[in-house]
Amino acid sequence: MKKILLLPALCLLALSTFAQHQLGNSRISGDFGFNGMYYIPDSLIGAEKVDSKVRGNAFLNLLYSNGGFSAGARYEFYMFPLIDFEKINYKGQGIRYFFADYKNKFVHVTAGNYYEQFGNGLVLRAYEDRQLGIDNSLLGARVKVNPYKGVTIKGVWGVERLNFDSYLGRKDFVRGLDAEVSFNEMFDKVQEAGFVASVGASFVSKFEKADTEIETTLYPGSDSSATGVIPVDKIPQNVATWATRMSFGYKGFRLDGEFAQKMQDPNITNDFIYKKGDALFLSATYSMKGLGVAASFIRADNMDFRTQRMQKTNSLLYINNIPAINRQYSYQLLADYSFASQPNSQIGVQLQVNYQIPKKTKLGGKYGTDLTFNFSRFHNTDQQPVPMAELYGTMTGTEGYTSNFFKFGPDLLYQDIGFEISHRFTKQWKWILAYNYISYNLEKLQGHEGMMRGHLVASDLQWKVTSKHSLRLELQHLYTRDDDGSAIYGMLEYAISPRWFISVGDEFNYGNPNPQHRLHYFNIAGAFVWNTTRIALNFGKTKEGILCIGGVCRAVPASYGVGLSITTSF
Amino acid sequence: MTVVLMCVSLSAQEVEKDKHLAELPSVDIQTLDGKVFNTADIQNDGKPVIISLWATWCKPCIAELLAIADEYEDWVEETGVKLYAISIDDAKTSARVAPFVNGKGWDYTVLLDVNSDFKRAMNVNDVPYMCILNGKGEIVWQHTSYAPGSEEEVYEVVKRLVKE
Repeated sequence: MKKILLLPALCLLALSTFAQHQLGNSRISGDFGFNGMYYIPDSLIGAEKVDSKVRGNAFLNLLYSNGGFSAGARYEFYMFPLIDFEKINYKGQGIRYFFADYKNKFVHVTAGNYYEQFGNGLVLRAYEDRQLGIDNSLLGARVKVNPYKGVTIKGVWGVERLNFDSYLGRKDFVRGLDAEVSFNEMFDKVQEAGFVASVGASFVSKFEKADTEIETTLYPGSDSSATGVIPVDKIPQNVATWATRMSFGYKGFRLDGEFAQKMQDPNITNDFIYKKGDALFLSATYSMKGLGVAASFIRADNMDFRTQRMQKTNSLLYINNIPAINRQYSYQLLADYSFASQPNSQIGVQLQVNYQIPKKTKLGGKYGTDLTFNFSRFHNTDQQPVPMAELYGTMTGTEGYTSNFFKFGPDLLYQDIGFEISHRFTKQWKWILAYNYISYNLEKLQGHEGMMRGHLVASDLQWKVTSKHSLRLELQHLYTRDDDGSAIYGMLEYAISPRWFISVGDEFNYGNPNPQHRLHYFNIAGAFVWNTTRIALNFGKTKEGILCIGGVCRAVPASYGVGLSITTSF
Repeated sequence: MTVVLMCVSLSAQEVEKDKHLAELPSVDIQTLDGKVFNTADIQNDGKPVIISLWATWCKPCIAELLAIADEYEDWVEETGVKLYAISIDDAKTSARVAPFVNGKGWDYTVLLDVNSDFKRAMNVNDVPYMCILNGKGEIVWQHTSYAPGSEEEVYEVVKRLVKE
């Protein structure tokens, strides 16, 4: 087990002799990361005893480039990964990302693994989020052409990466086409008149060989164990999706919209129904100096689109990405109540207003005062079972349900009403104060019972003691009678610019309905930064919860121990 | 073990090469009005350029850009430096970049790297990331993370480049 700590250390040593280099036009660069932990069991917080106490994730990226040509590969070592990565089966080692890429003014060709997104990602989004353990890059080929100014056409073919699966014997692949025309790029007059206008369309199809019948549970979530069978000839091998989008802007105003549809795709996440899926994403923004307003709407129904129809529901690997458009917070006490996008059933709105009270006014002070207002509300979609489903008492194998497109379904999933005020008093003192009222559906989003309604007050005070030394104090209070009850959090960070950070923090779940669970979760952390190298050490307890990044969430088990993280690029 | 060997052999080769400074990779990203912008075209008429990789959801990134915003007018006047703020916000939040930037009243050149292509090509692990280019477009300074006051180091580097 010690080997996994040795490996990154040796590698770093080797790399430290390697700065940036360029010979002629060719360049080799890369980055390296290690994230490890020594686990200490703690039965009170629920930190289980893990079979190997020392665990870690490590990767190394190397990139070669010469003019329009580039090639690269990533080696990943996740043989004994952090326990939350083990739980999502991100475990293994090897090179699962490599590519060669050529680009000139008209054409851009990639062979190997690549990340790609069509439009807003409603039908295709291959991307990577290392902290969450998401990497759904496609292995295959991609071609992009620019036949005329303002016109981009992309074609992709590939097999989706599924953690450390070897790709051998895979019976599925993804192919797609996307075209976009930007009128302001095509016609100078449109640009000069201050307009932004573009249209685009995509088509993506997934093939997955159907060679065995599927046995399904007819009444999921009930005590009945009755099963049904979907014969091979009733399983669509090809699932097509398409989307169309537009953007229009004039000066500070901007409107974006995209509509997508998915053809019949009976799969484990939708209980094997034959209904088409649909999604609509609209966004309108207006901004001028000192004021920004952003409003957006999303509806997604039966849009969970995966490479394998039997892929487990706890996997985070999709072909597309239905964005969760709510405002994301980094507040410690809201970490468990962050909304995760629901591709099969969500309809909602989000509104954010930013206003800056001008500098050098009575209210604005010398540096101006920033105000932010936020509102978001998401429901499930309206779903009325079709007569056939009513008759059989199960949706499996039928059209499932009908849905009134703009109607909000009966269940509130998430709501957030928030205000934030940020003011700089002097060059030394700055304060951010925020209030949020959050409603979070524990049953639909986490499988627990009921609804969490809570008030959060958060304060972030910064004091720049001298030009190099600064202190930051974060205080948060969550008041709620639901779920784990009220909690308070405090964190003090001391930074010596530009290299050192030290922080101590504690979360106290004082309002837990079970007095034995009124626990402290302390954390001590330090980090050292040198150019692009960052080494961080921490010791403490983490509450069982959810980690969300960009509206994608996964469970994180309770843990206690010492963590070490190293990242560098060269 | 293969990784270690790979690292060692690569670094050994590298030492023998004569070193020049790296330039920006050529990656297609977008302007706020949806036009394609190639990162190799980032320049400032022979004057220094600061590049910040940031996101609307990244608190330290915003703190850094706010701290620079207070001084930016003076910096431009004294050195002619130009700051490119390249957002890595994805589809979920990229529509909010323009209102956010306007709301803060920033005078930076803002670009969108919605697919993180530029971030990957620069081998950046986490934001905030900042680098400084000299007048020839070579990367002379890089830094990751933000601590209040580190903007002063940034400006020291820029001033030194102007004097050279």
